[in-house]
Amino acid sequence: MPPPNTPRRSSSVDSAAQSHLDYLDLDLGEAVPNIPTSAYSLSPSAPRQQHLHLGVDRQPGGSLNRLPEPNLPHTVDFRGLNYADTVDENLLCPICRVPMVEPVDTACDHTFCKDCITEAFKYSNLCPIDRFSLTNTDLHKAHKIVTNQLDALLVLCPCCTSPVPRAMILNHLERYCKDALVRCPGQACRDTVKRKLYGRGCLHYDVSCPDCNMIMQQLEMADHRERDCQERLKDCSHCGDVILRCKEDGHLEKCQYVPASCEWAEYGCDYESRRKDLAEHADVCAFKFVGPMATILKKEINNLRSEVRTLTEKDHIKERRIKFLEGGFGGQRDTDRPLDYADLPSQSLSNLADSSHADPLDSGHEYLLSLVEAQETKVDRLSAGMTELEAKQTMMLFNETIQIKNELAEMRSSQQVLSMHVRWLLNFRRQENQRRFGAGPSSGGGTDGGGSSHDMPFPRRLSDTMNRDLVTKL
Amino acid sequence: MASSQKRITKELAEVTSDPPVGIKVSLVDESNVHNWNVILDGPPDSPYAVCLLSHTSSSLANSKLIQGGKFKLLLVLPTEYPFKPPVINFKTRVYHPNITFDDKGSMCIGILKAEAWKPSSKILSVLTATQQLLSEPVPDDALESAIAEKFKSDRKDFNAEAKKYTKQYATGK
Ligand SMILES: [Zn+2]
Ligand SMILES: [Zn+2]
Ligand SMILES: [Zn+2]
Ligand SMILES: [Zn+2]
Ligand SMILES: [Zn+2]
Ligand SMILES: [Zn+2]
Ligand SMILES: [Zn+2]
Repeated sequence: MPPPNTPRRSSSVDSAAQSHLDYLDLDLGEAVPNIPTSAYSLSPSAPRQQHLHLGVDRQPGGSLNRLPEPNLPHTVDFRGLNYADTVDENLLCPICRVPMVEPVDTACDHTFCKDCITEAFKYSNLCPIDRFSLTNTDLHKAHKIVTNQLDALLVLCPCCTSPVPRAMILNHLERYCKDALVRCPGQACRDTVKRKLYGRGCLHYDVSCPDCNMIMQQLEMADHRERDCQERLKDCSHCGDVILRCKEDGHLEKCQYVPASCEWAEYGCDYESRRKDLAEHADVCAFKFVGPMATILKKEINNLRSEVRTLTEKDHIKERRIKFLEGGFGGQRDTDRPLDYADLPSQSLSNLADSSHADPLDSGHEYLLSLVEAQETKVDRLSAGMTELEAKQTMMLFNETIQIKNELAEMRSSQQVLSMHVRWLLNFRRQENQRRFGAGPSSGGGTDGGGSSHDMPFPRRLSDTMNRDLVTKL
Repeated sequence: MASSQKRITKELAEVTSDPPVGIKVSLVDESNVHNWNVILDGPPDSPYAVCLLSHTSSSLANSKLIQGGKFKLLLVLPTEYPFKPPVINFKTRVYHPNITFDDKGSMCIGILKAEAWKPSSKILSVLTATQQLLSEPVPDDALESAIAEKFKSDRKDFNAEAKKYTKQYATGK
C-alpha cells in the first residue's frame, strides 16, 4: 500500500488513475469552515486543542466563540479495504471476490454484493453461479447472520492501519482515527492535516531542512528528517554509532561516551567523566549519602511550596468574592464616579492579602472570569471523558448486539423446525382420528374430496420428507 | 471498472503464488492486468508430451523422462470481465480437433462459450479446463473436422501426428 493520507482536493469526482487514493476520497469542495458546531460537539480532541489554538484570542467576551469542528466527511471504498485476517470463503462475493458489501440473496439462494449483481444484470439476467433466470425483484436483503458476520470482520483502517470492525470504519475515520485528515486549524488555510497534528496549528508553510536545506512544508518535515533526507544520518562524535540528525539531542542524553558530570553535581561534586564511567565514581563519591537526602528534602520543599501556592490562590479567590459581594452592596455609589474600593470599609481586608490589586475594576470581573475559566476546564474534562465513554459503549453495544442477534436468528430457525414438527404431528393426529372415527369417505372433510382412508399415507409421507429435508439443511 | 481490475489482480496473485501443476502465468505487460501469457505443459499421458529418450530404451522410460510440450497461450480478459468470458488463443501450433490449426490457434471450449459463461467461474478453472481439453479432445464439437475425423477413425495415426507437431513446435521457445 502507498502512503495513505496524501492530501487531495477533489473538486472533481474523477475516479482517476490515482488508484491509490480511491479508497479515501475526501471531499473538500464545499468544506469551508462553517459547519454547525453542535453536530460535532463530542469530537474527541477538539475542545482542548481549540484552547491551545485560540490562546491569543481568549479575551473576555471572545472566549466563548468556538471554531467550527475540523472533521471532514469521509467515504470509504469497502472493496478496497484490507482485512486483518483471512476471510471465510463463504463470505466472499462470487463476482468481485472480496467480502460482500450490502449482500443480497437471489431467488436461487445465492448471495452477492448488491452492486455486483446489479452490474451482472446489465449483461444477462442469469444467476452468475447457476444461470437460473432472475429479475431485479428476485433480490432480497441477505439474512441478518450474514450481514452481522460481514460487519464484524476486522478491516485495517486505510489511514492508521489499526484493525476496526468493518461496520465501524466510517465512525472511526470521522471521529477517532489519529491519522485521518481533518481541516487545518489555520484560520485562512484551506488545507488538511492528520488529526494527531491538529493541535500543532497550521503547518502549511515552507521551511528549509536543517540537514539538507531542501525546502518543503513544515508538515512534511518530521517525516522527511526521519526517512527521506539525504543528510539524515551522521556518526555520533562520541560513540561512533550512526544516528539520525533530528534525534541527535535524544541520543546525546543517553550516549555512554558523552562526558557527563556526577549525579550529585548540583550539591557540589565536580567529578566529570564519560557517562559509562560514572557508575564507578558513584560508589566512591563523597556525596553518595548526602545526595539522596538532599533530593528527598528538595522534593518535600517543592511539595510544600506548591501547597502554599494553592492556598494563596484560594485566598485570592475568596478575597475577590468578598470584594464582589461588597461591591454588590455598594450600589449606592455615585454613577459618574468609577467604582473605588478604597471607599469601602473592607479595604483593610484586601490590603492584608494582596496590595497589588490596585485596579479598582479588577476584582469583580476577574472573579467572574476565573469562575468561567474553572467551569470551562471542567466542561472540557467532562466532554473528553464523555467521548471516551461513548466510544467504549458503542463498541460494547455492538459486540453484544451481534451475539444477541445471532442467537435470536438461531432460535428463530429452531422455532421454525419445532413448529414444523408440531404441525406435522397435529396433521398426523388428525388423520389418525379421521381414520378411526370417520366411517365413510364423505366425513373425510371437504379438502380431501373423494379421498378414501387409503389416500392418507400420501400427504403424510410428503410432509415427512419435507421435514427431514429441513432438518438436514439446518 | 476498478472492481474488475481488483478481482483480476487477486486471481493473478492466487495463480502465481500457488501455481497449479503444468501451468505458468505471467503478464504480457506489467502495467496491464488484462493480458496474460500462459505456458501450458502438455499432459504426460497425452500425445502432447514428448519422451526425451525416444525409442532407445522404451522399457526404462518412466514418467521422469516424459516431458510435456510447452504450449504458449495468450489469455485476454475483456474489460467487462467477469461478466464476459476471457478469450484464449494458442500461440503454439497444436494438432488438436478443438483448436484451429493456424496462426490464430482459436480454441473451442464449453465453459468459455458466451451462452455458457458464468461470472463466478475463475480464470484458474478456465486454464485447467484447457489442460483437460488436451488430454480429452471433444471430436463432436470440432473446429478442425479433418483432425477430428482422424481422431475418431485412426487413433494411432492421430497420436503420431500430434506427437510430431508437439516435438516440432511445443519447445517453449
Ligand atoms: Zn461483489
Ligand atoms: Zn443462483
Ligand atoms: Zn485509523
Ligand atoms: Zn494549514
Ligand atoms: Zn533534509
Ligand atoms: Zn553516541
Ligand atoms: Zn560525585
